[in-house]
Amino acid sequence: MKCAVENPVQADQNLRRIFLVGNPNVGKSVLFNALTGAYTTVSNYPGTSVEVFRGTCEIHGVRYEVLDTPGMYSLLPITEEERVARDMLLNERPDVVLHVIDARNIERMLPMTLQLIEAGLPVILVVNILDEAERLGLRFDLHLLEEKLGIPVVGAAVRRRRGLKEIRAAIVGFDPSQKAVFGYAVDLERDISRVTSCLSGQYGLDARAMALLLMQRDESLTELVRSVEKDNFAVVEGAINEIAFDRRVDLHLRISLERKRVCKGVLEGVISEDGQRAIDWAGKLSELTMNPWTGVPLLLLVLYFGLYQFVGNFGAGTIVDFLEGGLFEKNLNPWFIDFCRTYLPWNWLFELLAGEYGIFTLGVRYAVAIVLPIVGTFFIAFSVIEDSGYFPRLAMLVDRVFKQIGLNGRAVIPIVLGFGCDTMATIVTRTLETRRERLIATLLLALAIPCSAQLGVILGLLSAVPGALVIWGGSMAGLFLFIGFLSARLMPGEKPMFYMEIPPMRLPQPRNVLVKTLTRMQWYFLEIFPLFILASVILWAGKMTGALQWLVEVMQPVMRLLGLPGQTAAAFIFGFFRRDFGAAGLYDLQTKGILSPAQLTVAAVTLTLFVPCVAQFLIMKKERGWKASLAIFAVVTLLAFSVGFGLNRLLLLTGVPG
Amino acid sequence: MICGFCHREIPEETPEKGCGRCGGGCRKVHCPYCGYENPLPSPLLERLLGRKEKKK
Ligand SMILES: [Zn+2]
Ligand SMILES: [Zn+2]
Repeated sequence: MKCAVENPVQADQNLRRIFLVGNPNVGKSVLFNALTGAYTTVSNYPGTSVEVFRGTCEIHGVRYEVLDTPGMYSLLPITEEERVARDMLLNERPDVVLHVIDARNIERMLPMTLQLIEAGLPVILVVNILDEAERLGLRFDLHLLEEKLGIPVVGAAVRRRRGLKEIRAAIVGFDPSQKAVFGYAVDLERDISRVTSCLSGQYGLDARAMALLLMQRDESLTELVRSVEKDNFAVVEGAINEIAFDRRVDLHLRISLERKRVCKGVLEGVISEDGQRAIDWAGKLSELTMNPWTGVPLLLLVLYFGLYQFVGNFGAGTIVDFLEGGLFEKNLNPWFIDFCRTYLPWNWLFELLAGEYGIFTLGVRYAVAIVLPIVGTFFIAFSVIEDSGYFPRLAMLVDRVFKQIGLNGRAVIPIVLGFGCDTMATIVTRTLETRRERLIATLLLALAIPCSAQLGVILGLLSAVPGALVIWGGSMAGLFLFIGFLSARLMPGEKPMFYMEIPPMRLPQPRNVLVKTLTRMQWYFLEIFPLFILASVILWAGKMTGALQWLVEVMQPVMRLLGLPGQTAAAFIFGFFRRDFGAAGLYDLQTKGILSPAQLTVAAVTLTLFVPCVAQFLIMKKERGWKASLAIFAVVTLLAFSVGFGLNRLLLLTGVPG
Repeated sequence: MICGFCHREIPEETPEKGCGRCGGGCRKVHCPYCGYENPLPSPLLERLLGRKEKKK
């Protein structure tokens, strides 16, 4: 329960109010402290858990109240913090709004300045962290920017106390009456005026800003308009729906893109780069990663060094050899088996602990010696890539290809997550817009995307036979595209546009990488360890009762069709429990020298395509329903075995890899 | 926490402390902007590595 005193709105009504807004990490708090000094208070915004800081200051004899709003990226709120920041701006009519931005990322942050100006707010733009930007060789013509935006613009480096005097002067001398209007594309302008002409009520915001937010489907604003317009609301809603239908585009996206275009124009001539300045490597690299001609070779390089060399050769080769071959096979296992044989009089107990599918000899060994080093190195590579900001660029790069398979760049998130764990990725397909996209993504995840552990083990398995690796990779990519292409044709529907804000690229931070890797490994290990133990117990029970033998027997003909030795059936049965478990089983066969290169290739391809693990299947059922998930299961199983069959024939004919 | 995909700041009080959807005590936070799933370091790990100084 909150009493009224805590309410930040209950300020002295005679005080003029300054609001600080902007993205997180642009120096808002530093500026807040510099303006207000030591005497500040923190209180929760009414009805929320969001904290709002406020303090007072005196500038040239005028007293102001200063409020630091929670970080926000746009006027269209997503998180509770953003909603609070937006509500504060719209409901509490500030006298001055200081929009603090990072000079280094001015192009990314200026669209919000535009939104604030459009909303009719009294904005002063503070271009902060100017010292760092200048160190990077950027020069700003802030007078020109001021002219173009029609609002006061102050350059600052508040951490160095630079620009504070100018900010204070701008606040005191602020004249909110002058106001610029930014023209959008003609068709968009027509839409905007159409919506504004429908609005009849009085709002704290400019009609233009209201129209834009309504067109972008801002929910809380739509509710507000519904209550103010009453009977007239149907007209407003009708107009917006009609516009969206006529344009056949995502209006939200269209407006963001248009705003970006306007910002580009505004910044023309404002920023210049020093002739002598060090080349902006990050920026160059960033462009190279998104251009298809350079992006694809770069992607292959990343895959080669990150996955093949580091995970495949180092993790699955060197480390696994040491742990599995050295530690377990030579030392731990013989000792443990001897120990059990000597002290355990019952065969069933011996089998349970140290037999073929024993808890120690199979479960612990798989988990510790095979899977852990492989996923460990995989997580390192993954965290490095993640921390560098490569993923959103990958999303832009593959957007074109994905459009051909009924998806768009947005689907990169579930697909990339699928390389971590397909189960979670299946849940994340919720973020896709249409039912069709969700279905296609779910099918592709179940079919052609191996999860991290499976991928790692397969890489380790195949890195000994590079030819097999190429065939495996080609089969996965080919099938992914082919099935995607086919399902996009079979399930016609709208193709939504994709647009994503690209964060700046940066050098991975060792500490971040370490924390992420260790975190992922810790949770992964905690999650798989009991399951591996459970799986070996189930397999043990299967062996003792003869059920396993029967199942393997049943699968013999299928294995024969694939040209695989009978023992491989066990690996497929392992795969039901967990994808990585199946792959580890295959690894075992490979180290025992049971599989020829061709058989290894066929087994790896079939196993990767074949079944999602139990968990993934259950989630599929939950997200897509029985009918769709059983259909996916059937399609995937059929495809896996027919591809395996075909591949075997092909390899026998061509003799590759040999 | 910074999202690993879109590099935006995930607010501390995101309703999803751990996604709560998967079994086995999932410790992942979904980014409210892009849906990406970020690993949440355990308290033990944070202590071992020395907790980052809290901002503000
Ligand atoms: Zn994100
Ligand atoms: Zn989860």
